Amino acid sequence: MGNQRAYLWCIGPALILMFLILLLPIFIAAGMSFTNYSLGNTSADFVGLENYEQIFTRSTYAKMFGATFRYVFLVVPMTVGLGLGAALLINSLTRFGEVYKTIYFLPVMSALIAMAIVWEFAFHPTIGIINATLERGCGTFLEGWTWYAKGCARTFPLWLTDRDYAIWTVSFIGIWQGFGFNMVLYLAGLTGIPRDLYHAAEMDGTQSAWDRFCLVTWPMLGPTTVFVVTISFIRSFQVFDTVEAFYPQGGGPSKSVYVMMFAIYEKAIQQNLMGIGAAITMVFLGFVMILTLIQRWLVERRTHYA
Amino acid sequence: MSSISLRTITKSFGDAMVLDGVDLDIKDGKFVTLVGPSGCGKSTLLRILAGLEATDAGTVTIGKRDVTQTRPSLRNLAMVFQSYALYPHLSVAQNMLTPLLMRDLTKTQRLPVIGPLISRAKRKALTAQVDAVAQTLKITELLTRKPGQLSGGQRQRVALGRAMVRNPVAFLMDEPLSNLDAALRVHMRSELTELHRRLKTTFVYVTHDQAEALTMSDRMAVMMGGKILQFGRPDDIYRDPNSLAVARFVGSPAINTLSSEIDEQGTLTVLGESMGRFSGLSQQSVVVGIRPEHLTLSKTGRFGGMVKHRENLGSDVFLHLVVDGHADVVVVRATPAHAPALAAQVRFTMSSDHLLIFGADGQRLRAEHTTSKVAV
Ligand SMILES: Nc1ncnc2c1ncn2[C@@H]1O[C@H](COP(=O)(O)OP(=O)(O)OP(=O)(O)O)[C@@H](O)[C@H]1O
Ligand SMILES: [Mg+2]
Repeated sequence: MGNQRAYLWCIGPALILMFLILLLPIFIAAGMSFTNYSLGNTSADFVGLENYEQIFTRSTYAKMFGATFRYVFLVVPMTVGLGLGAALLINSLTRFGEVYKTIYFLPVMSALIAMAIVWEFAFHPTIGIINATLERGCGTFLEGWTWYAKGCARTFPLWLTDRDYAIWTVSFIGIWQGFGFNMVLYLAGLTGIPRDLYHAAEMDGTQSAWDRFCLVTWPMLGPTTVFVVTISFIRSFQVFDTVEAFYPQGGGPSKSVYVMMFAIYEKAIQQNLMGIGAAITMVFLGFVMILTLIQRWLVERRTHYA
Repeated sequence: MSSISLRTITKSFGDAMVLDGVDLDIKDGKFVTLVGPSGCGKSTLLRILAGLEATDAGTVTIGKRDVTQTRPSLRNLAMVFQSYALYPHLSVAQNMLTPLLMRDLTKTQRLPVIGPLISRAKRKALTAQVDAVAQTLKITELLTRKPGQLSGGQRQRVALGRAMVRNPVAFLMDEPLSNLDAALRVHMRSELTELHRRLKTTFVYVTHDQAEALTMSDRMAVMMGGKILQFGRPDDIYRDPNSLAVARFVGSPAINTLSSEIDEQGTLTVLGESMGRFSGLSQQSVVVGIRPEHLTLSKTGRFGGMVKHRENLGSDVFLHLVVDGHADVVVVRATPAHAPALAAQVRFTMSSDHLLIFGADGQRLRAEHTTSKVAV
């Protein structure tokens, strides 16, 4: 009799911890998102869907979604593509592979807050290395490019403070920081491809590197790619530290860099509007959930690999 | 025609010399086996023939063409890998179709999505070719499955099918049966020989199992330490090995090797008994090899021993005998019905016609047996 309950002792601790650490906070946040609770208040009013209504109607939040999606849909393809490219190149090296690996991985390991200061200098309109370099190109054939000519005639963009450029500049830093991580995942995936498959492909008549890539490398990296893309999406949705470092107030020029994580931080922590902060969190959670479901579906579809 | 010849192939990995001037001529349509102990360089030789490994020196010729510098995909050879190396993401049919697509379609016709649209007719013809091969290999009902859903034997067939769909100059196989269980291995042996008879294409088959080499091949090459020690018909190599190493490697159970002496008259003494005179041999210590089937139990035999171990194979019983005063164990073949029990004293005869004499350096000493003072 007692033995039939033994399984409870095995799964019980994990179940309780999972409930306390993962599920309970989500339930609390979900509950809070229907109130106008502020930290320190003893009570709060139930406001129904008002918070959500705000998120989907107010222009601030439209900007928030705009900034978030711009960032995500630039950073994810670029980090995945560059990560794969770097991994393939490093994998084809016979020497110095370790050196390149370390160089490309350094940005991943460094604290983004610290690196943000460096980038702030680099992008500085007058003393920054980037615009200084661009000015050197003035008077050369590069002026044939109208954008460049305009930059020479007036000034080159104020990368971080121009609302047309800010989100792309922040995305660029996200890419710089993130692709090394994907590269490492892809390198691990590449070592898992049996060499025999390449030999078989060669015997089967593939001659170009492109054929080899299509026939062996890319399909064999399928599971890695699903993982890398999901991770990149979630990491990009979570972008916060660059925005906080560059624009501690307000989310950039005309809120053009007002990404979701920053919005949550601003509302819930800076302005102590827990209700609306919780509501944005729930929307954010929804996105992550959808991504995870897509990933699960893709992984299950490929169970017959290997 | 498309005979293959390898000339003075040399290959080392770092300091380790793996192939040391190997010469091999393979006539068109023959089933040739490369056999030898593990690590002797068989796979390396096969991969050099395929072009997957570069030679340090020597040439590979297929037909009349020197292909030493030609890349594998242009040598028109097909290979079956020990791991089968099937593309796990493709179905069996697509796996078998791949070599055809790679060779018969242009680059644009192979592009994803639009490729299949613009080359529909051609693809249909190629698929028909795959179906035909699948039928001969009896894998038609597997065509839609992925390699992960197949058994070892089925994968082996698919790998074979992928090699067969086009008409290669030769099939190269690197221990294709070593992942199968014993019964299936024996079955596949006969299927492969059957296939070879039907296709009449050259097979180059690598194995470490001398039984496979003996049963399947037209010609076998025994390799050891990066050299081909002997190349010839399996029968000849079994009956008439050139060296002690070959004699020991080929045949199961192994040949009996007995340290013996030749005196100044050329008389050979084995296990203390004279085996008659051999012309042309000087006084020396030799090793005599004799196969277990050439020793016969007989009540009146000249040699005696005690049964130390019985190896019962069902059809035969091999008796391991200890002969008084000699260190060498003698293995004798007996019929199960007449096999003596363990620890029994038995007598046996040795036919001097089948004696193989090897010098101290392991090379065969070919000598005329002059006086037939054959032991009874
Ligand atoms: N890529 C390599 N780098 C270094 N040494 C190698 C390499 N490939 C093979 N060798 C060495 O070459 C020798 C011959 O290898 P090979 O694979 O040809 O042996 P084999 O006869 O096929 O053995 P087996 O029956 O075990 O497959 C071995 O000693 C092996 O360690
Ligand atoms: Mg091998």
